[in-house]
Amino acid sequence: MTESGRAATPTCLDLFVGMLQVALSAFGGGLSAWSQRIVVEQKGWMSNEEFITGLTVARLFPGPNQINMAVFIGASFRGLPGALASLAGMLLVPFSLLMLIGSLYFQLHELPAVDRVLAGVVAAAAGMALSMGFKILDDYRRDPVALLLAALVFVALSFGHLRLIPVVLVSGPIAMFWYWPRERSEA
Amino acid sequence: MGWFVPIGQVHLLPWPLAAVCHPARLSDLGNLAQVLWQFLSLSLFSLGGGNTLLAEYHHLSVEKFCWLTDSQFADLYALAEAAPGPSSMIVGLLGLGAAWREGPLWALLSGYGAEIAILLPSTLLMVMASLSWRQMEHSPCRIAFQRGLGPITLGILFAVGLKILRTADSNIAGVVVSVVVCVLMLRTRISPLWFMAVAGVLGGLGIINR
Repeated sequence: MTESGRAATPTCLDLFVGMLQVALSAFGGGLSAWSQRIVVEQKGWMSNEEFITGLTVARLFPGPNQINMAVFIGASFRGLPGALASLAGMLLVPFSLLMLIGSLYFQLHELPAVDRVLAGVVAAAAGMALSMGFKILDDYRRDPVALLLAALVFVALSFGHLRLIPVVLVSGPIAMFWYWPRERSEA
Repeated sequence: MGWFVPIGQVHLLPWPLAAVCHPARLSDLGNLAQVLWQFLSLSLFSLGGGNTLLAEYHHLSVEKFCWLTDSQFADLYALAEAAPGPSSMIVGLLGLGAAWREGPLWALLSGYGAEIAILLPSTLLMVMASLSWRQMEHSPCRIAFQRGLGPITLGILFAVGLKILRTADSNIAGVVVSVVVCVLMLRTRISPLWFMAVAGVLGGLGIINR
C-alpha cells in the first residue's frame, strides 16, 4: 500500500494523537466525516479509496462502525498495536466523559427534578431507537425474501422470547445460503 | 395496543426467575467471570453497528443480573445517545451501574472492564479482517455474509426499537413523543440532540412523565 508522494507511515503515537483529534473534533457529531477529513485530507495517511474500503469492512464486521473504522486505520499501518493505539485515542476522552456523566447520574437520579427531565429525554431517545429499523427498511423494499427473514427474526426476538445469539446462529446460515452468489459474473 | 404492556408486569424470559431478583454482586469472582463471559460472547454478535445488542444488554442488566431497573436502563440509553462519541459506549454505563452499590472505585473499574470486554473480540476480528481484506474481498462466502446479514440486522433493529419503546414509555404521552421523534428522525435532518433537549424541557414541565 505504498505509493510515492504519500505521507510517512504513522507511528502508534501518531495514530493515538490523530484519533484523539478526530474524537475531539467530533464532539458535536459527525464522527465519520471528521475521521475522513483528518485521516485523508489533513494527514494524508490514506487515499479516499482506502478510507472507503475501510468503511465497508467496518460496517461488515461485528462491532460499532466508528470503532471498527478506528481499528481499520490503526491496523492498516501498525497491525494490532496500531489498532489498539487508535482505539485508545478515539475512546479515551469521550469514554471518560461518559463515566463522569454516569457517576453524576447515579448520584443524582433520585432527585425528582432530574427524574422529571430524564422522563422526557428517554421518550425522545426511544423514538431514535424506533427509527433505526425504518432507516434501512427502504433498502429491502423489493426483496420479499429479505423482508420475510427480517420478519421472522423480529417475531422470534420480540414474541418468541428467544435470545439474540441462537436466533443469529440459526437465521445467519439460512440467509447466507439463500444469498450465496450463484451466477459467475467476474471477468 | 394489545402488546403494549409495561415490562415490569410480564417476564419475557426463556428461563424462570426467582420471585425476587437479587442484584448479582461483582465482588463475587464467579459472578464477575460470568458477566465478563456474557459481554465477550455478545461482542461478535454486534451486527450492523452496536445497537443490535441493546435488547440483550437490557436482558442482562435488568432481567438476568438485576443491576438496574427498567427506567434506569432507559435513562442510561438516553445518556449514551446524548453524550458525544459512539453511542455503543452504553456498555460502560451498564458496567458502572452494575457495581455502583459496591463503591465508586469498583464502579469505574467495572465500567472500563465491561467496555473492554464488549470491544475486545470484535476488535481482534476487525484487525484480522483489515489485514486480509484483499484476499477475502471477492470470496463468495464474504459476499453471502454481507448480503445475508442485512435482512437479519433489519429484523433485530425492529425488535430492539420495540424493546426500548416498551422499556422507556409507560404511558400514552411518552409513546406519542417517541413516535413523533421517530418520524422526525426519518423525515428531517435535525440533530437528535434537539429532540432530546425539547423532550427534556417537556419532562421538566411535567408534560411527559412516567
